[in-house]
Formats: sequence, structure tokens, C-alpha cells
Amino acid sequence: MSDVIDPAALGDEDRAALQRLILTLADSKRLLGIRYSDWILGSPSVETGIATSSMTQDEWGHARLLYAMLKSLNTDPRAAEHDRATSEYASIAALDEEAPDWAALVAMMTLADRAITVMLESFSRGSLEQAGSRVPKMLAEEEFHTSLGAAWYRRLAGTEGEAHELLVRATTSMLPTLIAWVGADDPPMKRMVEAGVIEAAGDRLAAFRDAVRDLTALVDVDVDTVEPSTDWDGARGRTAGQPSEESAARARGDLNRALLVD
Amino acid sequence: MREILYDVFARKDRGDPLSHIGYVDAFDEETAKIYALTTYSEQTWFEMCVVERSSIIPVTDGEGLFAQLRRARNE
Repeated sequence: MSDVIDPAALGDEDRAALQRLILTLADSKRLLGIRYSDWILGSPSVETGIATSSMTQDEWGHARLLYAMLKSLNTDPRAAEHDRATSEYASIAALDEEAPDWAALVAMMTLADRAITVMLESFSRGSLEQAGSRVPKMLAEEEFHTSLGAAWYRRLAGTEGEAHELLVRATTSMLPTLIAWVGADDPPMKRMVEAGVIEAAGDRLAAFRDAVRDLTALVDVDVDTVEPSTDWDGARGRTAGQPSEESAARARGDLNRALLVD
Repeated sequence: MREILYDVFARKDRGDPLSHIGYVDAFDEETAKIYALTTYSEQTWFEMCVVERSSIIPVTDGEGLFAQLRRARNE
């Protein structure tokens, strides 16, 4: 681990880069929780629905902890959570839309959730003290997400017919944007690497590829040859696009504003 | 897709009896463990395990659940 940094002492550009990084992680967690929640009642079995509900709670709890890190940058976490326009959300593109079928949710569980975990693993080993103290518990809670996703991925990949085809479609659709996000190496990310907040792009990308290589090979997708999306949005630290308006309204809690407490 | 029935056993504290607390349908040991943990998460268990129901060998040949199930399976 690098020497611990003081977020309050960062220069403007480093501070903006760290804020962008925290927001893309927090927003992705929140949107992933929404995507899981969409399938609590539509899962293939009661047991899977309960597990999906548990993952939903995990993701929302993790998002809350990540948003809270913004305090150290003198940014109001409450405003970040509840008052941003949809176009400002920095969640990964793979989560912009509801999973249209169970295979797509399994791909989210296996690929998108894993991409976020790889980024958090790297973040937890970096120079931000809060990441080192808060993220390991999240990673421990993520372990069963990884196991469940892998089990379902193997199961669907081993079938013939529609489920297999849907899994291939979801996998090939998600991977380019995930690889662009995990392997981001634009100036703000370079700043974070130089500050020791997160590991180098090549290392993160190698970790992600190692994590999913054997699974995607089951549907004849070679993760080592997938090219990253080129539609990078440097302002938000994600690829182009945004969550649907309905999703952002849920992420912000628009329907529950009257219930918000300080 | 084939599902396998796993019975779930747990004890609340060290020294407590291991009790049958329910069952889950899963497709392998890994998913059975996950489903047991998430389904029966209302308490913090000292120990929890899952057993594939077909592996349970009833000792008493009475009206117990597992003896009945074994008889039904053998008919």
C-alpha cells in the first residue's frame, strides 16, 4: 500500500479525479442494487429471489458507504445521492437499462458486479485510508455474489437454446464498456494512479480478465481479445450514455423525498 | 433444469443442538450454501450446514419425515 494521502490536502485536479472515481463506484453500486431488485420476484426460484434481495441490500449499503466518502472532499453526500440530474450519473453503462431477461441479470452479476469488485479491490489497496478501512467489508460481502453469479453463468452456458444465446448476447454487449471502465487510463485516472489511490490500468484490467476469462470462454467469448468501447466520457469516468430516467429517479429516491431525514 | 433438495441444519450457539431449520432447492453444493445463508439469515448462526436430502439415512424406521421420504423414494 502507498503512503496514506489526506483528501483535504489534494490539489483541485486530484480532488476532482478522486471525486469522479468515488462517484462512478457509488453510482454503479446503487444502480446494480436497482437491477438486482428488479428480479427479486422474477427470479427462477424462491431461493434465488431471496439471494437477489440480499444482494440488493448489499449493493445499496455499499453505495451509501461510498457516497459518504465524499465528505472528506467537502462534498455533500446527500446532494450526490439525492439531487443530481440523470445526465450526471456515472454508473457503468452495463447498468443503464433493466436486465431484460434472467441471463442478462446473470451476466450483470458475473461481469458488471465483478468489474466493480475488481476496481474496489484495487481501491482498497491504495492510499486512501477510508478505502482501506471500509472497502474490505464490502469485498467480503461480495464473495457470495461472485459465487452465485459464476454458478448461474456456468449453468446457463451449459444449456442449449435460448438461455445460452441470451447469455452470449448479454456478455458480448457488456464486455466492451466494462473493459473500457476497468482499464480507464485518461488523465484523471492517471492522477489517481500517481497518487497511489488505485493501481495501474493494466493491472486492473489483467485482474478483471483473470476473474472472468474461464467463464466467458464457456460461451466462446475470449475476454483477452475484446476491445474496449471508445466512447469515453471523461467528465463522468464512464462510457457514453446514462441510466434511464426511471432508473435515476429510483436511485435518487424521488418518490421518497418526503421521508428523507438528516 | 434439475434441482436438488438440500436440508439445512444449524445451531445458534456453541453447544446448542444442531437443529433442522428448513430446506432449499439448489443445483449444486455451492448454490445450496448460498441459498441457505441468504434464506435463513434471520439469526447469526454459530454453525450451519446443508445436506443433500437423498444422502440422509434414516436410522429409525418409523413415521419420521426422512423415513417416510426414503420409503416413498424406494417405492
